[in-house]
Parts: sequence; structure tokens; C-alpha cells
Amino acid sequence: MTNAQLDTPVLILGGGVAGLAAAVDLARRGVAATIIEREPRLGGRASQFCCKATEACARCGACRLGELLVQAAHLPQITIYTAALAVAAQPQGDGWRVELSPQPGGEIGPGPGRPLRERTTLNTQAVILAVGGEAFNPAGKTRFGHGRVDGVFSALELEAMLSQGALGPDGLAPAKVAFIQCVGSRDASLGRLWCSRVCCGYALRMGRVIRKLLPESQVTFFHMDVQDYGRAWEDELPELRKQMRFVRAMPGEVTAGDGRPEVTYALAGEQAIKEGFDLVVLSVGLGPPNGASALGELFGAAKDSDGFLTTDGGPAGVFVAGAAAGPRSLNESMVHGGLAASQAASRVASLTEARHG
Amino acid sequence: MRLNDCDPGFKHEVAAEPGGEGIRACFACAACSARCPVGANRPDYDPRRLIRLTLLGRRDEVLSSPLIWLCSSCYTCGEVCPQQVRFTEVLTAIKNIAAREGHAPPSAKITAELLAKQGRLLEVTDFENDKRADLGLPPVEQRPGDFQAILGLKPAEGEAGEEPR
Ligand SMILES: Cc1cc2nc3c(=O)[nH]c(=O)nc-3n(C[C@H](O)[C@H](O)[C@H](O)COP(=O)(O)OP(=O)(O)OC[C@H]3O[C@@H](n4cnc5c(N)ncnc54)[C@H](O)[C@@H]3O)c2cc1C
Ligand code: SF4
Ligand code: SF4
Ligand code: SF4
Ligand code: SF4
Repeated sequence: MTNAQLDTPVLILGGGVAGLAAAVDLARRGVAATIIEREPRLGGRASQFCCKATEACARCGACRLGELLVQAAHLPQITIYTAALAVAAQPQGDGWRVELSPQPGGEIGPGPGRPLRERTTLNTQAVILAVGGEAFNPAGKTRFGHGRVDGVFSALELEAMLSQGALGPDGLAPAKVAFIQCVGSRDASLGRLWCSRVCCGYALRMGRVIRKLLPESQVTFFHMDVQDYGRAWEDELPELRKQMRFVRAMPGEVTAGDGRPEVTYALAGEQAIKEGFDLVVLSVGLGPPNGASALGELFGAAKDSDGFLTTDGGPAGVFVAGAAAGPRSLNESMVHGGLAASQAASRVASLTEARHG
Repeated sequence: MRLNDCDPGFKHEVAAEPGGEGIRACFACAACSARCPVGANRPDYDPRRLIRLTLLGRRDEVLSSPLIWLCSSCYTCGEVCPQQVRFTEVLTAIKNIAAREGHAPPSAKITAELLAKQGRLLEVTDFENDKRADLGLPPVEQRPGDFQAILGLKPAEGEAGEEPR
């Protein structure tokens, strides 16, 4: 049986915000693109995120996914396949010849795109790798108790709990919440030296949402320092410091106390103490994509010293966008998608010119 | 605290000492302080504070402090440290400088004397060796020579020494 054939100027792997933003940007430039998403649904991580507005929008970027999905659905230059995986790739002429394989679980959903039904061979002039990064698995930091101590959650789990309304007056009503920052980031003992850049912002914003939902609750923010997480972040801090307790110390461990997790930490000039919380949230960082080496093998994509994919030093016609290239916020990932789109567009333009000129 | 009382070279001095180089990487995150068992019993013993004092250049204060001799070398601080500072080794470097400048406490001198005499802190007596004989184990010998060499009491032995037991 021969494969179905498909030609596209630009192939985008990954339908998170970076891949979608790249496709929309290309369409605006009049360049057609095909998005291949591994999962049955588009959206990537942002589809799990809660709105972090309190009195005003917190500029967390989560709702921009919705705008992107609407645009992607309406722009005729964009083709989307979900539940599809690139399984082989080879340079062919000026571009790439990519084998796509359908993945289980693909159903036609409400969003744009339809599942890939058969093995397909796709010819393209440029590839954008927008496969996102992996969130740190907090079980790797054993002493913080994730998976062992009841009441300890990763920030990803909290995002989902908040977006599903599991926390609040009608759901779980924790009185004391602790955020532990830099879990799986800035940690030489894990070989993860980078700052993940998004976790200070999401933790403070989710802390503020919890205070709004449950005004009686107390939120403690265990951190080393607060990183720049977006526009006007410094102006927000004085108000955030009033709403939450900022503790400048990394806890030594989280243990199972009397029915709830206990956090051991030391304040400057004071002896270490154990304090009980109802909810301990581990602010997990962003790391290189899990399949980085697989994609490296498929497309010969280059990696930086931390293992993130990079356009520099990689093969011609392969561009990287979003969190796959390093920790980035949603807004930054969209801008980065736009950058990869402009690079891919100029490649397509110069190849077309060469062919016709 | 006056800046003039601080010795900006002290941190480099510590970092140049074997084991002391890790001090350069400290984030002051206090994970070590949260877990140190000595600190749990002595409110004034705090690894993060000793590191900060060293980085600030409080040379005399650190070297003459009785606190630096309290570490139990349990390595818990190293286990939890995100920066691989290895504070136990950093403190050994600090103690070596302190000892050279005559700050070693009397207990350290007694320890050195015991090691020079017995080659170990606990004296091996017939009690231990009889027990070992009952179990079919060879006797333990006291071999203080190595320690005498380290302490400068006699020249170092060649490589071809007897296998330690
Ligand atoms: C707990 C947590 C909270 C966060 N909160 C915020 C926040 O509030 N605000 C903010 O700005 N940022 C936040 N971030 C960061 C945010 O997740 C990233 O900025 C964003 O997801 C990056 O978008 P992306 O499109 O590059 O990657 P992703 O969103 O990860 O999307 C990548 C897509 O590629 C698909 N894919 C992967 N491999 C393949 C493959 N081989 N073939 C085809 N498709 C593939 C994936 O299924 C996914 O759909 C948070 C991150 C974490 C971990
Ligand atoms: S940017 Fe974030 S906080 Fe603002 S409205 Fe959108 S989802 Fe809510
Ligand atoms: S953004 Fe904040 S929590 Fe995340 S790694 Fe950087 S400093 Fe740590
Ligand atoms: S090695 Fe010393 S400083 Fe480190 S935790 Fe143990 S007693 Fe404390
Ligand atoms: S745990 Fe490591 S980095 Fe943190 S204060 Fe202690 S020595 Fe410094």
C-alpha cells in the first residue's frame, strides 16, 4: 500500500501556542503551513491552565490560546492534523520528506484540525519544531514528598484543579497553602542549571487567585529570589507581599505530619522549624523536550548545552520555536513562534525565487 | 558592622583551600540550615550563616568562632544542597585555616594526640580482639604511623607499607 501524499511549504511539529502562533504568522504572510500534533487535541500545556485574573487580568497569557485556535480554524492557509507523529525524515532536494504515522485516540473534536487517518508522506521546504518542553517530574526531588505525602501537588496539578474549579468555596478549601519554588530548576544536583522563568510568575498569580477564592486562606511563598516574569512585575510585588508571606528560604524537606504535610525550613538567624500546611505546591520548572534526542535523530536538530533544541548550528530549513528552545512564557513562546515563522517564510521565498529565477 | 572590618580576600582564601572551592556556588537558600542536625540543637549553629559570614569577609569572627568545630560531618547539608557546595568540606577548609592560626579547640588537640598514639580514636584492647577471635576474624592492629606523619611527628612512610587491617 502506498502512502497518502501531502505537499506543504512549511511543516510545524507541535500544536501548542508556539506552533499555532507560527502557523497564524505564516498565513498572514501568505504562506501555507501544516501543523502536526501528536496528541488528539491541540493547545499543548496552555489547555490545562487556569485564568489567573483577580480584580484585573493578570496577563498570564492562558486565554490567548483560545484566540489562536479560532484564528487557526478560520485561516485557509492552515491545515491541521492531530494524533499524528513524524516517524521518519530525510533531506530531499531543497527540503524534507517526512513520514507521518497516525496515533491512537484521534477523534474529531470541537477544535480545529482532524485526526490523521493513514500513513502519509509529506514533502516540505521548511520544518518548525514547536514540540514544547517537559515539565519537571517532582518525584525526582524525593525530599519534597510528591507522590509520597498526601497534600503535596505539582503546580501543573494545581493549574488543572483551579481551572476545573476543584479549589474554592464549592470545592476543597485549604486554609494554608505553601508554594516551593525552583523545583527542578537552578539545581546543580539534578544537572538542571537554568532558571525556568515562568514559575515565579505562575506561582504568585495562582497564590493571588487562591487568596481571592478563599480570602481566609494564608499563602506562603518559599523562594530564593523572584525572577522577572513579565511586564510590570516589580510594581506588583509590594501588593503581593501584603497578600502572601514571602519566605526567603528553600525548605529542607516535606514530610507527612499529623494528617497534613509539614515543611521544614530555616529563617535567617532562627532555628529550623516544621510547619504544617493543607496544600504544598511544588513549582516545577520547564526542561528540554522528552523527545529531544528522537527529534535530533529525525531532523539532525542541534541542542544547546542544557539539552534544549536550537536553530543555530542545526540543518538548513529546520527552525525551533517556543519552550522546546528553552524556558519561555506563553507570550514569549508566541513571539518566538512568530520569529521561526519569519525565518521559515524567508527560506520558502528564497527557494521559490531560485526555482523561478 | 563596618566594611573596613571585612576582609574581601577571605572567601578566596577559603576557596583556594582543598574542599573550600564549593563556597563560590552558594545561593544562600538555607536548605542546609533547615536540615542540619547540629543546628536543630544549637540555635546559633547555622551553615548558611557561616557561609555568609565567610563571603562577607568576617575572617576573625569565623576563624575564632567555637561554632565551626561543632559540625558532626554528617553530610546532610551536602545531600540537600542544590548547588553542590559541599559545606562539610568547605567547613573543613575553614577549620584547616583556623587550626594553622592556632584556633583549634583543646578537643582537637586531644583528638590529634589519640590518633598519633593509637591510629584511631578508640583504643583497641583485648576485649575487641577476643570478640573478633571468637568470630574467626583476625586481630585489629593499631597503626598510628600514618597519623604521626600527617601530624608532622615523623617522616611519611613509603608506598610499600604493610596493608592496613
Ligand atoms: C506548571 C506550569 C505552569 C505554567 N504557567 C504559565 C503561565 O501561567 N503563563 C505562561 O505564560 N506560561 C506558563 N507556563 C509555561 C508554558 O507552559 C509554556 O510557555 C508554553 O506551554 C510553551 O508553549 P509551546 O507551544 O512551546 O509548548 P507546549 O505548550 O508544550 O506545546 C507543545 C505541543 O507539541 C506537541 N508535541 C510534542 N512532541 C511532539 C511531536 N514529536 N510531534 C508532534 N507534536 C508534538 C505537544 O503535544 C504539545 O501539544 C507554565 C508551565 C508550567 C510547567
Ligand atoms: S491573560 Fe490570563 S489572567 Fe488575563 S484574562 Fe487571560 S487567562 Fe485570565
Ligand atoms: S522562575 Fe522563579 S521559581 Fe522558576 S526557576 Fe526561576 S527563580 Fe526559580
Ligand atoms: S555536615 Fe555539619 S553542617 Fe552539614 S548538616 Fe551535618 S552537622 Fe550540619
Ligand atoms: S544548601 Fe547549599 S546553596 Fe543552599 S545555603 Fe546551603 S550551602 Fe548554600
